[in-house]
Amino acid sequence: MPVLLRHTAQALVAVWLTLSALFLLSRSVTDPAAFIQSTLSANTRLDARIDQAALTQQLLRRYGLSAPLFYTSWQPAAGWRWHGTGNQYHQWLGQLLAGNLGISYRQGAPVRGLLGEALRYTLPLTLLATTGSVGLAIGMATSLGYRPRARRLVLLALHGIQSFPLFLVAVGLLLLLANPDTLAWFPAFGLGLEPESGNWGQRAGELLYHLALPVLSLVIVSLPGLVIQLDGAIQQEMTRAYVATARAKGASRRRTMRGHVLRNALLPTIALLTDLLPNLVAGSVVVEVLFALPGMGRLLAEAAATQDYPLLLGAVGLVAVVRLVAQWLTDVAYQLTDPRIRL
Amino acid sequence: MKQLFRGFVVSLSALILTFCSTSPDATTSLVVRIRWASDPDNLDPLVVSNSSASEVANLTYCSLLKASEADNDFVPWLAEAMPIVQWADDSLLLVSYRLRPEATWDNGSPVLARDVAFTLKVMNCPGLPTEMDQAMFGFIRDIRLDPTDARRFTLVCVGQSPDHVRSSGDFSILPEYVLDPEGQLRSIALPALRQTSRPVPAVVVAFARRYQALELNKHPERLPGCGPYRISDWQKGRYLTLARKTRWWADTLSSPPPVLQAFPDQLTYQIIPDAATATLALRRGEIDLYSLMPAAEFVRLQQSAADQQRLRFSATDSYEFLAASFDVRKSILRDALTRRALSQLFDVAALVQATQQGAAVPSVGLISPRVKAYYHDSLPLLRFDPTTAVSLLQQAGWQRRGAGPWTRPNAQGQPEQLRLDLSYRTGEPAYETAARQFSAAARAVGVAVNLRPTEQSVLSRQLRAGATDMSIRTFSGNPFSYDFTPLLHSRGIGASNNTGFSLPASDELIDRIATTDDPARKARLLRQFQLLLHQERPFTVLYFLRYRLAAAARLRVPVTGLKPGYEAARIRVEVPQL
Amino acid sequence: MRPQHAKRPFSIRRLLAGGWLLLLAGAAVLAPSETIIPDLAHVSQPPFGVGHWLGTDPQGLDIWQALLQGTRTLALVSVPATLLTLLIGAGLGSAAGFLRNSGWQPTWRSLLTGLLVGLAALAQGPRLTPASGGLLVVTVGSWLLLGRFGFSRRRVALPVDTLVLGLMSLLESVPLLILVLAAAAVQRPSLGGLVLLLSLSCWTTPARLMRAVTLQVSAQPYLEAARAAGIPAARLLAAHIWPNTRHILLVRFPLTVALLIGLETTLSFLGVGLPPEVSSWGQLLATIRLAPTAWWLVAWPGLALVSTILSLHTLGRTK
Repeated sequence: MPVLLRHTAQALVAVWLTLSALFLLSRSVTDPAAFIQSTLSANTRLDARIDQAALTQQLLRRYGLSAPLFYTSWQPAAGWRWHGTGNQYHQWLGQLLAGNLGISYRQGAPVRGLLGEALRYTLPLTLLATTGSVGLAIGMATSLGYRPRARRLVLLALHGIQSFPLFLVAVGLLLLLANPDTLAWFPAFGLGLEPESGNWGQRAGELLYHLALPVLSLVIVSLPGLVIQLDGAIQQEMTRAYVATARAKGASRRRTMRGHVLRNALLPTIALLTDLLPNLVAGSVVVEVLFALPGMGRLLAEAAATQDYPLLLGAVGLVAVVRLVAQWLTDVAYQLTDPRIRL
Repeated sequence: MKQLFRGFVVSLSALILTFCSTSPDATTSLVVRIRWASDPDNLDPLVVSNSSASEVANLTYCSLLKASEADNDFVPWLAEAMPIVQWADDSLLLVSYRLRPEATWDNGSPVLARDVAFTLKVMNCPGLPTEMDQAMFGFIRDIRLDPTDARRFTLVCVGQSPDHVRSSGDFSILPEYVLDPEGQLRSIALPALRQTSRPVPAVVVAFARRYQALELNKHPERLPGCGPYRISDWQKGRYLTLARKTRWWADTLSSPPPVLQAFPDQLTYQIIPDAATATLALRRGEIDLYSLMPAAEFVRLQQSAADQQRLRFSATDSYEFLAASFDVRKSILRDALTRRALSQLFDVAALVQATQQGAAVPSVGLISPRVKAYYHDSLPLLRFDPTTAVSLLQQAGWQRRGAGPWTRPNAQGQPEQLRLDLSYRTGEPAYETAARQFSAAARAVGVAVNLRPTEQSVLSRQLRAGATDMSIRTFSGNPFSYDFTPLLHSRGIGASNNTGFSLPASDELIDRIATTDDPARKARLLRQFQLLLHQERPFTVLYFLRYRLAAAARLRVPVTGLKPGYEAARIRVEVPQL
Repeated sequence: MRPQHAKRPFSIRRLLAGGWLLLLAGAAVLAPSETIIPDLAHVSQPPFGVGHWLGTDPQGLDIWQALLQGTRTLALVSVPATLLTLLIGAGLGSAAGFLRNSGWQPTWRSLLTGLLVGLAALAQGPRLTPASGGLLVVTVGSWLLLGRFGFSRRRVALPVDTLVLGLMSLLESVPLLILVLAAAAVQRPSLGGLVLLLSLSCWTTPARLMRAVTLQVSAQPYLEAARAAGIPAARLLAAHIWPNTRHILLVRFPLTVALLIGLETTLSFLGVGLPPEVSSWGQLLATIRLAPTAWWLVAWPGLALVSTILSLHTLGRTK
């Protein structure tokens, strides 16, 4: 129990440090007025006759960006200065402790709700893609273990596929499989034109149909890395004595692979889990832009490009928390697969 | 399956219409799906901040006046007629309107002058996100209601420019009965709300809280306007659906003017950020209308036989132009000769061919050749001519030894080199092509150019700070207003006048153009102004863009040269002339 | 169970791979250095036409020249970035896995001196002035002063593993693309800045893998024995751990090159890539969205990219 407590306390401190670092970094390196300026220049209704400087000041005050950033600040002329609790960091931390992630500048809505909406679109996409690629990777790597000839060919092909960036794969699939000139098997974008209706099964079917191309492009892109890594580990394990022992004792190839080799080979691959889990919530900018899915990736990218700090920090904070959880899970998984490792 | 069925119904209805040639107002419902590149983000009527949001606002709310391209001016919308204007004492403008007697809210109650007064109070209510509105409409100081006619009122404005008259009618009118059913704000005068020094009355605080509790940014349907459409569904980032009101007040008019026509029964805006995806969706019939299409894609579809069958193409001259602008405060660009020399290095004809497929209109200045009355047609168009550029540089005092750089003494007598930073917005191929062409041509005559593609927000900061020598960007205009104060007047320096250009002569011309309403006089002044800019060259206009639009063949889409490039409410189904 | 080709290191495939890489190196050296002049009269021209035998892109740039210059970009940007990434990843990853939280025990004296100097540097503010000489005084002074206290000779275990993991999770909590987009919204990164940004944010995956393998290898009985026998840490690392963990990096090298080229393409897609004068294969690939039917925009750089990655992969296998 104390171990668990210590781990939790450590994780909480890590979350606080990470979020504080992100908060201070994101706001200190950017010019707060730049966000206002980009909003104003995107505004089609505003004509240029207005007094932009005064408007910018008013808007900065509205968004709480006119206060000093931290308790202290450094100026080359005056040196260190103390600002007291009336600073942006103090207010943000207080709100965060109350469970309030703030209001998005651009959308004027609470960040928590926006994240929830985006996850509703992103999670099905990334969950499908991740389970698909992990399952396929394990299946491929184990079945290739004892087939050197096929293995070489498949690895070669995977390395070739690996060299294509996601954007190209997605565009390629779109132009091949959703194009009236070639094959128009799948819809070109979105999640259906109308609000969801019909029973549960129909809706799931509709969702799968619309997500087919985005998921496929994500799987194609992430599969090679997984298979190559896992295969490398399997080959490494196959040279060990216990494999020969197991085979000598009469275990079938299949059994040796599943029962002994895979278990050990998965260990370095588990490390990739800490990449996979956060990606589940981070979404994929490219796929979401291309297939017009309003998920986390697009939300994050738009927030970053328009400097919508509360939204950016909320979303990045979510990814950070998931990553810390994933890290903890990885460590547990290490101990389960190889009890000799002490942490 | 459902979509198939819907598509079937739609094409069937189109078929029936084609054969029967009945009127377009047949009983079948007309659903139009339009592509949007981005979400409206925030539909609070006080914070309409992007083009998608203002498109929605124009379909769900009405203003007093509306810009009409066909009339080259604003036309009455919710107002019965154009306002009567009086110049009071020295600096005040009294603008009197009367509302249309037919206009009603959704609950049947009439739209009255006190709704306008209420709207102005909301736009000045402390505690609400009103900064933008105050910046735009802060010149409206007060409203006087007519005691005898509940539809008549007078706006008290500061400033005497004729443009103020037009902007005074350019805000959405909000319903008082929804937001303030008890009329609590009626007792508070508009000037009292504007005074920030006094404590805010409790009634106003309570009102602001009520307003914010409605969460209009997410639920705009809670505040229905008196426009022809209401928001029936909005999935952020996916689509927004507008449904035609079954009984809209303007339907009772015997012959409604164009601004009061609304034909489609449902408008669905699909948000598709990527252009290639949008093209595919259009060709597959998943959307019906794609506006502001990239030139290359447009031409490619136009040439494909299959797409000629299913799509209808149109292109209009817009009032938006691409220009290379100089920062005249930079020492190397301080004289007009250098700026003219550099302008000669743009190969406009080749750029129009390469980036706009030949379909863009070169112009001598910032007035579109389409506006025949004001365009200075006797000035020569820009010609690609490196030889002239070199001789102009020499005239400007630049010297070059062998293949070295051009140098000349600056104002302090120190030698300076002619090398330029050229900024443009990243991700826009037309800008990049122009920048590369210019850079190659400049290098050939010995001028080094450093290309700086920049993110939009960084670019606007660079421009304001004068951190770049040249930039390539678009400027948008309209056929109603010819007020160049922000762009080129000395008063605009520090705000929107990013070239830093100002001359006493040009300042005076700009002021006179802005205060003149007489067309003949205005034409003369505008020609003078174009000539002056042609000589001084704070920026060089490369070409005016064309807005391209492709739509399903069954639709008849009224196109405009103003963004978004179409009038959604006036889309109809094609009726062949038999 | 070793694969067959290990017995003949100069198989045809390896020759081909080596030849291709040599060709690339030659192209990188010989590529024309001046910026390509756009040919606006021939935009999006298909290959094998007059003047542009591999065609042109929608901006009128000759694809053959762009490919050649892209080779140089590959040699000067992608490969150094990959090496830097792997170097940081391997160093920090194996340090974390080998030292864990108790493997490095500096004395309080050195630790506190380091901390004091860090604080002094922070207090001085972010600038380098003649006053920076004061740092040296602080260093020497605190070292001598601390030597007078008894406790300063005691040792303290530095949680290297926790620190490295913390750094990794801080970096990885911001998705790379978002990081670059946010950076570009402030100031567009220069060429060197982009390399640094890419390496600094990509090192975590190799580091994580290295840490995992190092953990696994150091748990082996023979290492425990070696440790008990008092063999110094540096020798343990060099003689026993790295030979067993190296394969991870070799597997990772072509993957990372591909990843970085892919990233660069994606950045071009999102509009924040390399400067426009620097032609790269990624930039060429990204132009496909301007002209979806122009297959030659993908075919040539794609072919070059696949051949390069496969060659690296072929040569990278040592087993």
